[in-house]
Amino acid sequence: MKRLRQFPTLHIDTNETRSLKYRGKSLQGFAGDTVATALYANGIRIFSRSLKYHRPRGLYNLDGESSNTCMEVDGVPNVRTENTLLKDGMVVKAQNVKGSVDHDLMAFIDKLDWLMPAGFYYKTMHKPAAVWPVAMKAIRKAAGVGTISADYKVKGRYDEIFLTADVCVIGGGAAGMMAALTAAESGVRVIVLESRPHLGGCWDYRTGAYKENKPLFARARELAGQVENTSNIRVFKQTSMVGAYNNNLITAFQVGKSNDAFTERYVEIRSKSVVVATGCIERPLIFENNERPGVMQVACAHRLARSYGLLPGEAAVFSIGHDLGLEAALDLFDLGLKIRCVADIREDGHDAGLLAALAERKIPVLKGWVAAKAHGCKQVTKVTLATLDGTVKRHIPCDLLVASAGHTPVNGPLILAQTNIAYDNHSGFFLPKKLPEKMFSAGWMTGRSHPQAIEASGQVAGLKALAAIGVTDKTAVFAAEKEAAALPGIDRGCKLVTAPVKGRKSFICFDEDTTIKNIKQAIDMGFDVPELIKRFTSAGTGPGQGGIPGHNLPLFVSKYTASASKPMPTAVRPPLVPTLLATYAGAHHHMFKRTPLHASQKKGGGIFRNIGVWQRARYFSSDFDCKDEILNVRNNVGLLDSSTLGKFRIFGPDALKALQRLYVSDMSKLKQGRIKYSAMCNDDGCVIDDGIVIKRGDNDYYVTTSSGRAGNTVEWFRYHTRYDGWQYHMVNLTDAMGVINISGPNARKVLKKIADADISNNAFPFAGYREFTVKNTIPVRAMRLGFVGELSFELHVPSSYMQSVWDMLMAAGAEFNIKNFGLEAQNVLRMEKGHIILGQESEQRTNLLDLGLGFLWDRKKTAAKTVGAVALRQAENDPGRFKLVGIRMQDDARAPRDGALIVDTHVRGYVATARKSFTTGEAVGMALVESQLSKPGSRLEIYEDECNEIRLQARVVPMPFYDPDGQRMKM
Amino acid sequence: MALTLTCPICGKRNGYEFRYGGEDKGSRPDEKGLSPADWCDYVHMNTCTAGVQKEWWFHRDGCGAWFSTYRNTLSNLEVDRPEDST
Repeated sequence: MKRLRQFPTLHIDTNETRSLKYRGKSLQGFAGDTVATALYANGIRIFSRSLKYHRPRGLYNLDGESSNTCMEVDGVPNVRTENTLLKDGMVVKAQNVKGSVDHDLMAFIDKLDWLMPAGFYYKTMHKPAAVWPVAMKAIRKAAGVGTISADYKVKGRYDEIFLTADVCVIGGGAAGMMAALTAAESGVRVIVLESRPHLGGCWDYRTGAYKENKPLFARARELAGQVENTSNIRVFKQTSMVGAYNNNLITAFQVGKSNDAFTERYVEIRSKSVVVATGCIERPLIFENNERPGVMQVACAHRLARSYGLLPGEAAVFSIGHDLGLEAALDLFDLGLKIRCVADIREDGHDAGLLAALAERKIPVLKGWVAAKAHGCKQVTKVTLATLDGTVKRHIPCDLLVASAGHTPVNGPLILAQTNIAYDNHSGFFLPKKLPEKMFSAGWMTGRSHPQAIEASGQVAGLKALAAIGVTDKTAVFAAEKEAAALPGIDRGCKLVTAPVKGRKSFICFDEDTTIKNIKQAIDMGFDVPELIKRFTSAGTGPGQGGIPGHNLPLFVSKYTASASKPMPTAVRPPLVPTLLATYAGAHHHMFKRTPLHASQKKGGGIFRNIGVWQRARYFSSDFDCKDEILNVRNNVGLLDSSTLGKFRIFGPDALKALQRLYVSDMSKLKQGRIKYSAMCNDDGCVIDDGIVIKRGDNDYYVTTSSGRAGNTVEWFRYHTRYDGWQYHMVNLTDAMGVINISGPNARKVLKKIADADISNNAFPFAGYREFTVKNTIPVRAMRLGFVGELSFELHVPSSYMQSVWDMLMAAGAEFNIKNFGLEAQNVLRMEKGHIILGQESEQRTNLLDLGLGFLWDRKKTAAKTVGAVALRQAENDPGRFKLVGIRMQDDARAPRDGALIVDTHVRGYVATARKSFTTGEAVGMALVESQLSKPGSRLEIYEDECNEIRLQARVVPMPFYDPDGQRMKM
Repeated sequence: MALTLTCPICGKRNGYEFRYGGEDKGSRPDEKGLSPADWCDYVHMNTCTAGVQKEWWFHRDGCGAWFSTYRNTLSNLEVDRPEDST
């Protein structure tokens, strides 16, 4: 198809071709084409088959307001091809087609519409119940839109951006641009959102006069240039607003250009005030076969020619109800389209200049006429025009029927912001009754169409937006309003809903194949509210989000029910425009912290796992039982990177009070140079954390928490002391300090070689705390712990020194063949000692007493109002609680999995941790069981998923399993 | 997600930055003479006001302060003061 070239209004670049694949053929388009216009340029008229009846559907509108042109593009179904810019190499497929889109084997269903009245699937196919699953499969095969493979992985990069603005303008048409420029003059930050790839709105392609010798498109470009060159206006093109929330929070999504770093991105704007200038869309004219390919809206035909250089047909008939239709007919005639006739619904109220121009070109204008039927089975070949009462008819052959009943404001953004809208008899528009705080509307959507009035309304809205945030005063607003009031006001709108037809094939909703007849059926069945009729007939529930039926449905219902009350529009909900789930999902970064020793752990053969916010070395051998690592610690010496431990400094005059509140133990008894193991509970007495508390000086404490709790510790302390006004400070040292654990009978011999202090058992006994330096430089906080049950030093070292200390220990330990050990080895070592890990030996309901840690609790310090103490007192005598016990398996070769259930006829508990112990040769573990089963010797049956009903046998045994007197850690 | 809160230290910030800390129920009761039921009420019972309530928030992604503020639970907007004192 030949393109018209060299207009100032074109958005295609005919020097740059783009190819796409459709039905096995390679087709050419140009840069700037949408997928839909490129297909249209290549003579494609049928884009899809309709949901229910498999009727041919074509290009009707260019803003994606119906599913007519939804297609599969590069494997993604339901792509709105009218809104998608053509990229080289796109592969495009038609949807809901059996056979080919031109010869659909299911097209016969169109003749069976009498079998499918409104709501037929609610009434049939459910008796007997067995029918439905069969019928559902058949229906889903025959009806619907695109399909997607379950394994499909979305391509592209998805991002999100969070912005703040003083004024956010939704809609980059003339009014929106004026509002933005007016607001920006004061220096505030302005954001403009425009869903098309360019600013300008409907002026972008219109040749009507703005002023003498200046057409509207020239003015639009002038304004767009000003907007783009204003440094405090940020313009987002190809960005559709999808939601509005409290506090003027606006959400949108932006489609990336080819050189952008994102395919699509979610945009969230927190704006002080908002101007909505979304303009109007056309209200479809309803007549027989009103969606036949060849029927299109006025702006669609006009934009095809003016923006894409495509004459939409050869010979056209217009059936319109507003001056824009006359303007388009005139312009398209001048561009070479034959116009057989213009039928105008209006009897009067036309623009005299347009009528004169049409008469000059000998284009017949029929006033009070309307299209009643489009003929032709796949494309329009002929049109029946009728008078509004239907008494006189004329048949006119043509291949293009440009049809539009009127306009309807795009109120979605206002409705999402909780605006009540009401029908206005003069304009035929739904207009806001009262706008929300700091939100203003401007432009065509307010019912004005005179160019100067549009600009003035934009100016007023811009000033109001400024006044609302206190940047200007009201006088500027009043002055601008006064000026605007002198300009032409709200237009009278055409109210006609349907041509004089019965409506069997007159579609009110294209997406869902809902006809006027269906609506009448629903109303006759008793549905009298548009909202209910919408659901019963599914009109307006398709991908077009009510763009086609949104206005006509309430009008028609009001007319057919002869309702005295005004038409009520159906609700609009976010997202206003279909959005990819991938866009909402966003980038999904995998973010984990690494310890200061990450690189050397990796080099040392560490196998890493993501644990909480950290990446940690879990194994140092391909043997996930970690036998060598475990025995090396038991018999020799091993090194563990425990840097993920939570580490905090708590200091200040009331630091002790805070510790007394949060920890169950009496912290007033702390002695310097000694460590204190204690736990924290929540108000239900359930254990949430355990760790070490060290007194480093007066009112100065150093505490450790479990890795998983580190992020919440400050919040937790402050929460439970929030009423007290205590003076204490907390510093989270988790990332500033690393931790090395050196364990095993040879640990002292290794550490002695680098430590600048006496670390003999006398000078530094078990449970002691010392601060010393390494090599006269590196400050180390050392504590003697027994978590793994061997002689063990835990060294807290500033992160930047961690690698040095680690390397020194490795070098010093070389003669003993020192080795890494990982988390799993530590897990088994401490299990053999009966030491717990919170989250593994406990869950949300497990309290301090259940774990056998009641000895930590000091019940005398009631004045401290210790968190959990009241609940613990109540739980003390409760026989219905679980107890943590040691278990030994009957079969030492078969340890149950962590989490396996302990059962008899009911579930009686579960296994927390169980392993084959290489140290003792027994399969042992810890389990939480009902207190009746907790006595040593009790027999337990353990159920696992794959156990084939054969239960594992175990019995309760005393803990710990290894070195019960704790001699080895006190060496 | 439209909520903003005014942190006493950092000022008005995006609601995403904060963690909700429950209704303002007053300071912890004295343990002496406290019945289990009273304790349970203090910890677990809420008034669930439909309207303006005083509540605690934690500035998790900011200064780390706990503060109390008034919020209208019907509009999910922070307000300056309780309803009866306007």
